[in-house]
Amino acid sequence: MKTKVKLKNISKSYDMLEKKSDKILNLFSLKSKKNKQFLAVNNVSFEVREGETIGILGLNGSGKSTLSNILARVIEPTEGELIINGEPSLIAISAGLNNNLSGLENIDLKCMMHGLTEEEIENVKEDIIDFADIGDYIYQPVKNYSSGMKSRLGFAIAVHTDPDILIIDEALSVGDSTFAQKCLDKLEEFKKEGKTIFFISHSAAQMKTFCDRVLWIHYGELKEFGTKDEVINNYISFTKWFNKLSDAEKREYKKKMFQKQIKISEGYTQKQNRERSLLSQIANVLLFIPLLILSVLIVLGY
Amino acid sequence: MFKLIWQVFREQIENRKLIYRMATFEIKGMYQGHYLGSLWQFINPAIQIAIYWVVFGIGLRGGQTINSDIPYILWLLMGLIPWFFISPTMVQGSNSVYQKVSLVSKMNFPVSILPTIRIVGNSFQFFNLLLILFVLLLIYGVELSIYILQLPYYIFSLYVFLFAFTLFSSTLSTLIRDYQSFLQQVMRMFLYISPILWNPAGSQVPDWLTNVLRLNPFYYIIDGMRNSFLGDNWFFDDIVYTLYFWVLTFVILYFGVKIHMRFRKNFVDYL
Repeated sequence: MKTKVKLKNISKSYDMLEKKSDKILNLFSLKSKKNKQFLAVNNVSFEVREGETIGILGLNGSGKSTLSNILARVIEPTEGELIINGEPSLIAISAGLNNNLSGLENIDLKCMMHGLTEEEIENVKEDIIDFADIGDYIYQPVKNYSSGMKSRLGFAIAVHTDPDILIIDEALSVGDSTFAQKCLDKLEEFKKEGKTIFFISHSAAQMKTFCDRVLWIHYGELKEFGTKDEVINNYISFTKWFNKLSDAEKREYKKKMFQKQIKISEGYTQKQNRERSLLSQIANVLLFIPLLILSVLIVLGY
Repeated sequence: MFKLIWQVFREQIENRKLIYRMATFEIKGMYQGHYLGSLWQFINPAIQIAIYWVVFGIGLRGGQTINSDIPYILWLLMGLIPWFFISPTMVQGSNSVYQKVSLVSKMNFPVSILPTIRIVGNSFQFFNLLLILFVLLLIYGVELSIYILQLPYYIFSLYVFLFAFTLFSSTLSTLIRDYQSFLQQVMRMFLYISPILWNPAGSQVPDWLTNVLRLNPFYYIIDGMRNSFLGDNWFFDDIVYTLYFWVLTFVILYFGVKIHMRFRKNFVDYL
């Protein structure tokens, strides 16, 4: 089977700035003192073959969503090499529906934004309405929907835009069990079609029935990646151990892990580019000269 | 440097259908839940025109005309109609990336078309109002001269400028939120320093002040549009001024494309 997704030493770090003004200075790279960075994803490497279903496990704040955003190409990794052979599509709870438009119009809009032609939209519309199964509410503005209805519609639209690589970020946890089952059936269908699926969930049961391999991400680092039974069992025994700790010990543990994610970096590594950037700075300034001359001419009444 | 500019332009051209369809959607969504619906597109400007006409036309000018051939209301409309397009487009276009990036970042979507969608969306009202202006000119019996032929040139200039500016400021306003509030105030100021409500080239204004006010790019466009209707000279008669406008537009476009390309991948990080 050919490789579908490959991550090599992927890291994503965020600046932890104390003052708001530091952000602006950083933006224009005027300041190159030591800055504190938070490593949300730290040096993760793995490979996924076509048609595999991968579960992603982890505690809250361990970097699952950051990783799924990287996989979906929503955010760029700070370091590392990312190879994705196909079109990823992220299904998250906040599926980005327009509250003022009706469900039907949202279907049009979302499909349009996914790049479907008018004809294709007409073809899938019925299926989407059918799948969402929210009755006459489809003609109502989305702001009148319950949160369950919103996620139903969001999921229905996303699975009908013909994605190639699906990334499901806890999207199934809002719907009721009948809808969750429906979604799982749909995902099973995708699996049969040979699509690659990333499945992020807290439900070990869902993961056990559904995934081929499981990836456990722990405070930004890849802790384990292997067969589902092994990883899920290890994860469950970890959570059991963790829950047995006293509150003070839990806090201590979290603090220790959090400290590990903070990296102090020595400014920006832009030194080698300095000469080139100096040249482009000069070009930028030169651009203003004709503007200045013309302005002076106009003010003087030429 | 031209490669990046060309890439942004190509994204607009390749996605022209998407831009058009999303713009019509935007308008639909704007007046949803209003009983009068898209009629508000005309009620809003009509009310504002009435206010400006009463205050500036009757109140301050006492019904006097600015140049003797044409009633003040028509002179006013030639400035206000482009302004009703320029002002909201500048403000909304600058806000468009910040507003929409969380929606579109979940998919492969060309962020550079977001400001363009606002420009196109607001164009419908602009062209309708222009049409009404032509009807009014007909009713008042104002004869148009050969100079009306340069109206498409000025409309084109306006679009290029708006595109360059909103691309530039949509990036900036996502990175620095204070910029958006600042821009809103600046646009309010520009209403009074552009040739919209009064004539800055009139005899009561000193020459040096007129010249300084002419540095404002909207001066070029609004004055030019009015010139197309009232007929004085061609845009190429004043080559220095035309050159100034285009150099300014290019500088804004250049930096707009530059910072857009630099930050487009990281917009989500700045929300």
